[in-house]
Amino acid sequence: MENNYQLSRIHNYIHGLMSKEEMFQLEKEALEDPFLQDAIDGYRLQNGVDARQLSLLQQRLNRRVENTIATRHAQYYTWQRLAIGAAAGVLFVVLLALLYFKHFTGKTERTTDVTLSEPENLVTIEPLLDGGDATPLGGWKAFEHYLNNQLKETGIGGDIIVNFTIGKDGLPAQIQAEDTPDQALVEETVRLLRSGVKWQGSKGRLKITFPLKERKNSSQSHVIKPPHCFGIEKS
Amino acid sequence: MNEKELLQHYKTTGDLSALGKLYSPYMSLLYGVCFKYLQDPDRSQDAVMQIFEELIPKLRHYEVDNFKSWLHVYSKNYCLMQLRKDKRTTQVDIEDNLFESEQKLNAQDESKWEESDFEKLEGCMQTLNEEQKECVRLFYLEQKCYKDIADLTGYDLNKVKSAIQNGKRNLKICMERKENGK
Repeated sequence: MENNYQLSRIHNYIHGLMSKEEMFQLEKEALEDPFLQDAIDGYRLQNGVDARQLSLLQQRLNRRVENTIATRHAQYYTWQRLAIGAAAGVLFVVLLALLYFKHFTGKTERTTDVTLSEPENLVTIEPLLDGGDATPLGGWKAFEHYLNNQLKETGIGGDIIVNFTIGKDGLPAQIQAEDTPDQALVEETVRLLRSGVKWQGSKGRLKITFPLKERKNSSQSHVIKPPHCFGIEKS
Repeated sequence: MNEKELLQHYKTTGDLSALGKLYSPYMSLLYGVCFKYLQDPDRSQDAVMQIFEELIPKLRHYEVDNFKSWLHVYSKNYCLMQLRKDKRTTQVDIEDNLFESEQKLNAQDESKWEESDFEKLEGCMQTLNEEQKECVRLFYLEQKCYKDIADLTGYDLNKVKSAIQNGKRNLKICMERKENGK
């Protein structure tokens, strides 16, 4: 209200509606208060105070303040919405992750199923230790791996037990099949044993299982074998 | 809430309605100041609003002791910047801009005057030129308003005003010099 009081004083001053004492008083105040002096100068230039202008200004200010408060409320709600959105997003991601893990776990189970049935499609060997002391250089696993890579897709299948001795060149020699099964099986066995991997020891006895079907995937040769594969066969 | 509390409240909370309450009483004075420099009603109104916009971030960061005089200087600078942007030749009286620092000096006025001070003042009065001496005497000692002084002396009203303003400033400077010269 100090404001309006000053305003009416300025108005009266400019329009000569003040007594001399009042004029002096205002002038003296203005000397101490450059703000007031500047305002008086301005209104004098404008030839008076326009109250309408000032009330318009007041309205603009009020609107400005209200707008910001309204905007802030709007923003507040926006933040709230954002928070809800973010929470929903997090939940969604968690759900996806859960689904993914479930799916993933299911997949591994299925792979395990496949590998369990897979040995049918792969050459597996059982070293029969009661018949010899020979072991392939690089280990049984590598040997089996090697056999699978070398195997011709003959379409033959079946078990064969072979006895052999290790020659001076480290390769199996005098390879003899027991129970004389299919001749193709014997030939393939001989070919595989003579084709590369060297051995140590003197005698070997081995059971080899050839897959019945053609191998689907030559690269899938890494087989998880049940532990009993390497056990001593009871005869 | 008084002015200081409003300022502090706004500074800490950023509550615009507090700033509005603080600003609103000054708007009519501000409009006058803006009109003095911009000399256009619409521009002056816009300037008042624009200054408010500029205060919104500024008053959250700056510590303002005397809001009124700070606001005055700020708005004046704002208007001068506007004029500079216009590249319009401005007719700003340098006296008015020198006037600013006086508020700070006013604080010392309250101290008690001794006999020697009055003597000094009388001495300083002699250093003023005739116009200033005459106008200052008529205004401060005989308490006449500008219009009366103008009538008495035959000077123009604006001349009276600036003679008093300058005379007052010169006296102050003279008094301070004597004070320090002790």
